[in-house]
Amino acid sequence: MEFIRQSVFGLYEIGVLPSMFQYAFLTNALVAGLLIGPLLGALGPLVIVKRLAFFSEAVGHGALTGVALGILLGEPATQPFVALFCFCILFAMLLHWIKSRTDIPYDALVGVFLSFAIALGAALILYVAKKVNVHILENVLFGSILTVKDMDIWVLLLITAVSAVLIIKGANRALLASLSPDLARVRGVNIRLYDYIFILLIALVTVASVKVVGAILVGALLLIPATSARMISRNGREFFAYSVLFSTLSCILGILLPMAGALPIPSGAAIVMIASLGFVLSLIIRRWRVIQ
Amino acid sequence: MSVTLQLKEMSLSLNDVEILQPISATLQAGRLHAITGPNGAGKSSFLKCLLGLMPHKGQIKRHWPDKNKGVAYVPQQLAFEPSLPITIDEYLATTLTSRALFFKRASNIRAQVEGLLERVGLEGKKHLRLGQLSGGERQRLMFAQALGQKRHLWCVDEPMTGLDVTAQALITQELLALRTEGVTLLVVHHDPDWVSDYADEVWSINGGLAGHQVNLHAMSTVRRKTSKVMRCDQEEVA
Repeated sequence: MEFIRQSVFGLYEIGVLPSMFQYAFLTNALVAGLLIGPLLGALGPLVIVKRLAFFSEAVGHGALTGVALGILLGEPATQPFVALFCFCILFAMLLHWIKSRTDIPYDALVGVFLSFAIALGAALILYVAKKVNVHILENVLFGSILTVKDMDIWVLLLITAVSAVLIIKGANRALLASLSPDLARVRGVNIRLYDYIFILLIALVTVASVKVVGAILVGALLLIPATSARMISRNGREFFAYSVLFSTLSCILGILLPMAGALPIPSGAAIVMIASLGFVLSLIIRRWRVIQ
Repeated sequence: MSVTLQLKEMSLSLNDVEILQPISATLQAGRLHAITGPNGAGKSSFLKCLLGLMPHKGQIKRHWPDKNKGVAYVPQQLAFEPSLPITIDEYLATTLTSRALFFKRASNIRAQVEGLLERVGLEGKKHLRLGQLSGGERQRLMFAQALGQKRHLWCVDEPMTGLDVTAQALITQELLALRTEGVTLLVVHHDPDWVSDYADEVWSINGGLAGHQVNLHAMSTVRRKTSKVMRCDQEEVA
């Protein structure tokens, strides 16, 4: 990491990069953004195909409780990774387990879990807020480029590597399992295993994205770039490529623009707003294509 | 190279409702078995039990002649989201290779996909999205993915649904070619004319096995590649 920071600083010193690049924290945040963007972008189309957008959103919101529990259990307020990961996994597994054993409509079940997680999270956060600086909580929930440390980047790198292997190895089978589940089962695809791997991935990326995007907004970044890509893509390759592009651009611009304009906006909020602009752009492109 | 299926007291109940009463039967290798019956009689459930997709009771044993132990399955009418940007050639490639669809396809997979689409008459439509296909085209696509598996046992659920006369003739031709190759075919079908013309054995299902008939007419009109099976591997369907 030190080498990257020195190189960026060197480029600033010779006048290639603007003055904001003199700050090491910005380089850290950009490196994190360059890892998170493609990761969330590649996972997004699978979330859409599996119709798990609402589920991903619920897991992200469940992170609120995970963060509060971590702080209550004595984890550092800026890095409650263990509790966050464990709670997200537990939350997602329990939801999926109930889904597979009842005939409750999935959206209703996710709605129940989401409401409970937010209610519990809000109660715990208010309690925790008396013990720690409220700005630390804001950073964890909505992201902050100031908080990305070397350790976070190594954790992120590890999660990105694991997720990339799982996505590359399992994308086709996951796709087949989503589009034609019976066909996939006849071909020997273990649908339940793939569902649980997917849940693991969602929990992992939620943890990975906490520092830059914030726990609450991870679900949005899984959803918005992929939805934008879906509108303008003609095939599956474009779907993945555009989703990765939109997600990565949103992360990079969401980090750089508030910094360049000296705007006091949390990085997560800026990233999601830029991703939403991408959505509007995709709508326009789609409309223009229809008119053409 | 054919697969025999043996059913012993196979039954199916869902939520305490009996769908299929116990069935004991042997489905001979290398034959075209038609599964017929009225709507809601349990034909598709019967097929799904044989595929291991439904939690049946009793025994289903498959006797495999060699290591090629998979089943080619053509499901009944799948629905795809119209706006999902997955094309039919991508879908077929997904069923042929584990290489993720966002990577460039290997040339042999590309050739295989094109060959399969040509066989089912979809060669000019490979860039269409799954959701843009008509019911008949979806059925052809399902048939193409099954052909790509190169299996000795086929389970086909109402293959002619939504197909025009030309496509029906094409699919019938492919099924008969498979039978000539010695493939064991289980086909759920409604049309009594088709069944009497082409099926070797007819299994009537109506909440259980309501009848079984060997169709000598169809059997006598087909020349088959017969291969002597020296040894069979047995497998029980879970």
